[in-house]
Amino acid sequence: MKHALDRTDIDNAWCAGCGNFGILKLIKEVMTELEFDPKNTVIVSGIGQAAKTPYYIDTHMFCGLHGRALPVSTALKASNPALNVIAEGGDGDMYGEGGNHFMHTIRRNPDIVHIVHNNMVYGLTKGQSSPTSQKGFQTPLQVDGVTNEPFNPISVALALKAGFVSRVNIGNYAHAKMVLKEAFLHKGYALVDVFQPCVVFNKVNTYKWFKDNTYELKSDYDSRNLPSAMIKALENDPIQIGIFYQAKSPTFEDHIRGDEKQALCSLTHDIETMQKVFESY
Amino acid sequence: MKNSTIPFQSTLALPPVSLPKHDVPKQYQTHSISILIGGAAGTGIKTLENILSDAFKQSGYFVFSTKEYMSRVRGGSNTTLLRISDAPIFAPCWHVDICIALDADTLPHVYERLTDDTIVLADESITQEKIQITNIPILKKAMEIGSPSYSNSFAAGILFGLFGLDRLLLSKSISRFFHDKNTQENTAAMIEGVAHGESIKSIHIPKLPKPLSTLSNSMHLLDGSSASGFGFLTGGCNMITSYPMSPSTGVLNFMASMSKEFTLLVEQSEDEIASLNMVLGGWYSGARAMTSTSGGGFALMSEAVSLSGMSETPAVVYLAQRPGPATGLPTRTEQGDLNLAIHSGHGYFGHIVLAPGDLQECIDYGYLAFELADRYQMPVIYLSDQYLADSISMMESVDFSAYEQRRYIQTSDETYARYKLNDSGISPRGIPTLGEGIIVSTSDEHDERGQITESYQMREKMVDKRKQKIELTISEAYGPKVSGQGSIALIGWGSTKGVIDEVIKELDDPRLFHVHFTWVHPLNPQDLEILKQTKANIMIENNVTGQFADVLKNHDIKIDHRILQANGFNFFTDILKEEIKKLIKDKA
Repeated sequence: MKHALDRTDIDNAWCAGCGNFGILKLIKEVMTELEFDPKNTVIVSGIGQAAKTPYYIDTHMFCGLHGRALPVSTALKASNPALNVIAEGGDGDMYGEGGNHFMHTIRRNPDIVHIVHNNMVYGLTKGQSSPTSQKGFQTPLQVDGVTNEPFNPISVALALKAGFVSRVNIGNYAHAKMVLKEAFLHKGYALVDVFQPCVVFNKVNTYKWFKDNTYELKSDYDSRNLPSAMIKALENDPIQIGIFYQAKSPTFEDHIRGDEKQALCSLTHDIETMQKVFESY
Repeated sequence: MKNSTIPFQSTLALPPVSLPKHDVPKQYQTHSISILIGGAAGTGIKTLENILSDAFKQSGYFVFSTKEYMSRVRGGSNTTLLRISDAPIFAPCWHVDICIALDADTLPHVYERLTDDTIVLADESITQEKIQITNIPILKKAMEIGSPSYSNSFAAGILFGLFGLDRLLLSKSISRFFHDKNTQENTAAMIEGVAHGESIKSIHIPKLPKPLSTLSNSMHLLDGSSASGFGFLTGGCNMITSYPMSPSTGVLNFMASMSKEFTLLVEQSEDEIASLNMVLGGWYSGARAMTSTSGGGFALMSEAVSLSGMSETPAVVYLAQRPGPATGLPTRTEQGDLNLAIHSGHGYFGHIVLAPGDLQECIDYGYLAFELADRYQMPVIYLSDQYLADSISMMESVDFSAYEQRRYIQTSDETYARYKLNDSGISPRGIPTLGEGIIVSTSDEHDERGQITESYQMREKMVDKRKQKIELTISEAYGPKVSGQGSIALIGWGSTKGVIDEVIKELDDPRLFHVHFTWVHPLNPQDLEILKQTKANIMIENNVTGQFADVLKNHDIKIDHRILQANGFNFFTDILKEEIKKLIKDKA
């Protein structure tokens, strides 16, 4: 189905039935429904199948290195705070290669939406384990099954007091849309960890598995309570989805730019000030 | 933003910028004296260097100072060298006229730099059989005033007393650096020091150079880090994202202090990988961004350097070299990262490497780094080193309005394609929200729009596009600075400029002349012709193999001798002079 935000004349590199298609559709619909101007929006991504998403949405994009979307996003948002900035990539990209940036971007709290396609497996490198792979998951590399403890992005983000921490299952589309909208509207860093099946390399964590093993946080859940959010985040069987925690605090741009938030490209340094400063030496 | 304008908007159609013309200082020092002060880390020896440099400048002298220090926070044995002269001076010497030892570790540390004529002033606790020393109760007096940290001001006082200089000027310098904090105590220590200095009669005191009364108003005293920082600001730098690393942190600190004066975003990144990726994010959305680092940190940036090349996103990296491999000698100096800079990043793409040699060049090429990165849409690596970054010298005033400002960002329309093929290889660079175009930047091989492609025909076109950019930078490269004429070229690059200049002037041999490279990569073969007309080419480099000599060899330049040093020290005029004297003795 055509959408106004489709980029035309593209060669989509995803496999038939991939969970990425749902996420692509979701982002386009949320952007449209919230009236986000695509010409005022940048999607930054890294490397991997998930990181190809911005090639298929007609917004500005910077597709950089594996794991490095967050520092790029942070700086471009600071240099032009009027932009809507989305950082997008897979679980290997964002939690493995870019793990250090994940922690420190949360600490900075730039006003960006961080969408992580989490399919618990590596796709583009053909089926190895990812940081979120479940224990026992067998791959061509982890021949006896994964032994490492799975990375829990929700509890890590909570430990760092991220301002918006959420998880959705792309198979539960209406719920995912509701959460992503809230993430877009949140001022500050917003994590949306998206469960999506890899139909080629992960025969365990399928659409059905995600449906059977997740459930929505109850309607009376209080997302302002950090300790109870942490308890929910650590629940494993089944896995909770929804908005675990939400709190507002000043953003990176508020700190680094103050009240003056013009795009840096339109500013220049005052030569007289420069001369004056130099003369003091 | 849609209606906003880009100040100084410019295009590639304009010829490359020219640097403002500067008057080359003509006078040459006829007399200088050198003072070496040694003490432990954390005892304020750097403050002492700043105070004395300033006070000697206020007294009408040209000053050069440099320090060597150990990689630790407290203790150890560090020294600072001051040279005072009657004309501009830009290099250190090994042997010294006066040595002040604030602690017992100093003398063994500096022993080889003392001659029979060196006046050695040491704290009374220090005894030394091999050399004659004059003991002074430095520590005792400082303690009487209240703290051992007043030893520094006491030592400064000794020098001013010894030379009979105006202590009021020294007192002003002390107030300037201590701002109210313990100024009174430091001034008291200084006065005590002056009295002791005046009382030293028994030794032959070296004659001071002739002071210039107008000097203190016309000249500016600063270190290489600050001069580089002024250069980057002149180039419009408005974002710096860095992980601290010696000896690059001076620039980061300078820029942080300037963020109070200018719209200048400063962020300490979690690692060097983040640093350079942030720089790219900044440029992508219209900032003029840079990072600062040293060799180890720069090694971590390699992949992002490559991304700058592929995505054609400009980037500026300030790379202050220190000796490697690995952690190496963190606080010492070397010109060892030239190859790393030239070859950084996988794949074939252009980068420009600049290496300033003095304060004026630090400003000029700091400005140029941003201009070139923007013009050619590629990474520009600005090489400094611990010696250049930390040494303090003097320069004349700079007219900052003389640097032509250009911004190559273009307003885009609906048909915009980020990697549009054209004759120059350089596509107009749009940024988000400036116009109607969608800006697609990518690390994958791409078509003109920026979409991923695996078409071999498109790949060939894009490889050729990046090659064209390299050819353009070669055709527009700045040639070396040639000082004098003769048959034997002393060739240097970067921070060796001052020492080679002084050696040539000291030797006063009509055969010698200086060819100095500040634009070190890529080179235009036409600029190297001068080195094919010489009888001998002597390369002087602060590294173990002669990395730049090899670059020149690859351009068919014969290198007859390589004077190399990789022991953590910079070159010293007196030692280098003797070495070159010996080398050219047998040459016709």
